[in-house]
Amino acid sequence: MRDLKHLIAFEKLLEEANNPLVRQAKEEGLKALGYTCYFMPEVLLDLPGCFSVRLRAPGCTSPDIATYYLSGRVCHYGRSLFERALEGGYNFLDAQMATETCTVTCRFQEHLGYMDVIQNPDFFVDFTDVPFKKTKNAIDHYKTELQYHVLNPLHEKFGIDTSDEAIRKAIEQHNEVCNLIQEIGSYRKLDNPTITGFEFQIIQLVSLTCPKHLILPMLRETAKEMKTRKPDKKPTYRCKVILAGSECDDPYFTQLIEGCGALVVADRHCYGSIESRVPIEIQDGEDALEAVARHYLKTSQCPRFMPQDDMRARKQFLADLAKEYKADGIIVESNKFCEYWSYERTIDTIILPRDFGIPVCSIEKEYINGASGQLRTRFQAFVESIEIKKIQEAI
Amino acid sequence: MKAKLLKALILAFGANALLFVVFFFDLDGKFLFYIYEPFMKKHYDEMPRRDMTKMPYEINKPNVEFDV
Amino acid sequence: MKDLKKLVRDFWYGKPAEEMRMADLYIQPTGLYKHREWRGVKDTFYYMYMIWGYNYLHMVMDVMKYGSLIDFVKGLWRYRWMGQTYIPVLHWFDRGLEGLRGPALRGSAWHYRAMVCSTIRQFQTMFQADTKLHGGKKNDHYYHTLAIKETFWGGIFYGWSDKFIAQPLEMIPYFVTCHVNSHVVLNYIDAAQSIGLPGDPCPMCQAEEGLFVLDDVPDYSPLFFTVNEACDGSVGSTILQDWFFDKPLFALPMTMQFDNEEVMKNTMNEIEQCWAFMEEQTGVPMNMDLLKQRINEQNALQEFEWEKWDVAANTNSYPICGVAQALYRIYQSQYGTWGANDIWHQTDKKIRKIMENAVVNKINTFPKTRHRVIAWSCAPLYYSNWCSWAYNAWGLNVIINMDSLMFDMTLRTDTKENILYDMAKYHLWAPMRRMAVGGLHHIFELWAYMERFNCDMVAMYDQLQCKGMQGVHGLFEDEFRERNINAFWVPHALPDSRTVSRAEIRKLISDYMSTVMGEEPIDPSLLDFDDSQTW
Repeated sequence: MRDLKHLIAFEKLLEEANNPLVRQAKEEGLKALGYTCYFMPEVLLDLPGCFSVRLRAPGCTSPDIATYYLSGRVCHYGRSLFERALEGGYNFLDAQMATETCTVTCRFQEHLGYMDVIQNPDFFVDFTDVPFKKTKNAIDHYKTELQYHVLNPLHEKFGIDTSDEAIRKAIEQHNEVCNLIQEIGSYRKLDNPTITGFEFQIIQLVSLTCPKHLILPMLRETAKEMKTRKPDKKPTYRCKVILAGSECDDPYFTQLIEGCGALVVADRHCYGSIESRVPIEIQDGEDALEAVARHYLKTSQCPRFMPQDDMRARKQFLADLAKEYKADGIIVESNKFCEYWSYERTIDTIILPRDFGIPVCSIEKEYINGASGQLRTRFQAFVESIEIKKIQEAI
Repeated sequence: MKAKLLKALILAFGANALLFVVFFFDLDGKFLFYIYEPFMKKHYDEMPRRDMTKMPYEINKPNVEFDV
Repeated sequence: MKDLKKLVRDFWYGKPAEEMRMADLYIQPTGLYKHREWRGVKDTFYYMYMIWGYNYLHMVMDVMKYGSLIDFVKGLWRYRWMGQTYIPVLHWFDRGLEGLRGPALRGSAWHYRAMVCSTIRQFQTMFQADTKLHGGKKNDHYYHTLAIKETFWGGIFYGWSDKFIAQPLEMIPYFVTCHVNSHVVLNYIDAAQSIGLPGDPCPMCQAEEGLFVLDDVPDYSPLFFTVNEACDGSVGSTILQDWFFDKPLFALPMTMQFDNEEVMKNTMNEIEQCWAFMEEQTGVPMNMDLLKQRINEQNALQEFEWEKWDVAANTNSYPICGVAQALYRIYQSQYGTWGANDIWHQTDKKIRKIMENAVVNKINTFPKTRHRVIAWSCAPLYYSNWCSWAYNAWGLNVIINMDSLMFDMTLRTDTKENILYDMAKYHLWAPMRRMAVGGLHHIFELWAYMERFNCDMVAMYDQLQCKGMQGVHGLFEDEFRERNINAFWVPHALPDSRTVSRAEIRKLISDYMSTVMGEEPIDPSLLDFDDSQTW
């Protein structure tokens, strides 16, 4: 396939959190707001006057000082973020909009507040409580929390306009990003997709980590470019898979999978697009904040949701996704030490093949995997098993 | 009467002395450690068990008819 | 003549601390005794009749009081966690009460007795309703018993306590068994990993899953109530439990940022929804008067607990050893009360008498004390009696521990609003939640409690697979240094004795005491012995 015009530029933007577009936005006088989890609605951090940066720590392979503080027995992602913060990599942040949605990212963000790590005198950390349900009570609670711990501090400390009108404007911009990413991502549904999982993940990640108004022109161009992009005559992949699981912001992990012959056609993980790039719809009678609260709870497939219906529906969701994207199998990954996904991965690995006939490759990984020989072997074996299954089915 | 009382006293003393020996020399512990537990362990190890991964997983909530 | 006098004195009062060689009594590595400890005439016979004999007797009587002997025998035969732990329970007493004398021996033993009694009530509740023990039949008990996750506070159902018993699912099969026989739980941890669960999640949750994987969970209730406390592990483990249990499930999530006043409304609503689910499923309305009555009974227990803390903090006459204090408090506050004359209230009456007597007579209940220790974070379940060892070996007297300090409140009963508010607050302050994985400022309440209880050392538990506490490891190190606090770490993996053995724990503490503190042991025999096969 022809190279995408902006792909190399996008890839470069992902090399550090304080990338050129972030610096440009800061120079424009915008406030940079860090966050780690889907449940901190990025749309609220993209209100006029500020912009969201979903934190990553690319290239952090040995978080030594963070390991002293958080120990070596917690998720590598949380430790890497903290290491990067200690190195000064997040000093551009004006605030960290935190959530206690998993223990280790919570601890990382608590340390940011407690230890005065970020060298910015105005920097503050505020925690939002996120419910474990999607009920009316939960939505009301979430809305209150977003008001108290996102909108109010942004207004009081930075003078950000947090009116309904401003939120609607932010939703408009957010939805344009979502529509573009969905459009680009829809080419993964083709019989012979015109975009690889690696390319798509890079595009999705820049949309999470760069100021929206600066990345939008490049996304628009990419979407346009995609309309005429032709697939390779002979597919370079041997099967199609969904990548599901916990935190995964490393496009080279996807590249590793694709290097083994499995094209990643859908991304249902913490940094994936399946949930985060669904446009926000304001329903009749709703104010904008309520729509945001409802949207982020209803669209999420996070294993933190505890009601029985939600827990069980997650398997059906993945099965439906496999059908929609014509995937031959699912790779379920979880970061080592991730409590939620250790359990969800276990049940997915048993139930999806048993009840839905979908092959599953179950992987425990580190935050940065590099060229892991072990993982490569696992993926190659998985691809072969899918091919054998296809041959057997054809007989 | 006296003899009966004496006999009862001796019996009570004997029982208590026996109890004391069991208690003091941890004979209960020794019995449980060397005889009872290995026997029970073997029993549990050999017990047939259901394969719980065969449990159904219906998407719809399981129903229960409550009878109170 | 002098020797004879000493012999008589040792016989009558027991040997003085510095002459005791406790480890010489052990048959290594089994943990059995060549002979049980001679504590002087009075205490030895008190132990024999009022602890050993009394408890063996009541282990039979309570079985009959709270259910049937037949169900008990069936349960014993059916469940490994039952058969391998119930019978050796007196050895659990022995381990925890080593070296204690006078009021400390009596007070601590009554705490143990209460825990055993409550345990019997709980397993009999399960067994009499268990379809697995009754040919698959769902009997009347089955429809009157509620399965709740062990971190779900039983008091939520006080309003139905005349008709239903809320029985924690894993409290006896997992939590209690770890203390009594540490080997049993290993079967369950291994079983959980055999279906693909990684080895790094909290081993408590792993063991809870393992019980299901080995089909060793009694089927005693038509419903299952779960909760997100204390941590991500509880949320995650619910995913598998829901599958294996396959019953209508209600999840009662507690808000995480529980200090913020605005979250209370949500938690109160969730409790109300839980009640609505209960009413909808069972058709039985909640009895508000009964709820208030039970809360008041529970408040009485809390008020006495505060009196106990006061004595522990300000005198050296507190008659409860560290392990008894911690475990009793967890059992009682998590399970809740079942009446004004339940075992908790009975025990408190006895303790009051013992404690008042000790205070009035200014008895130094732990005379070997060199350091007053506060134990922080979650304790190793397979070695909760480490504090008895530490007291006998080094004079480290664990005055109070984090688990005891969790539910530090009484609940109001004047209005429904206040009841709900306080119930929510109470649940939010659950074990392992507030001061273990709760916000940093709660974790650092340690400094205030250390002062309040006049402690000069910290025993810092280091649960290697607890992400919440591992995530503050470095900050604790920094704070200990800055505050110049003597603190030793106690690494462990909660129920899994294979990760850090008891001997390793002892070695780490002994190393700290000799190298950092520069002290000599009280009983050198306790520095190095093999108890690897101990229950």
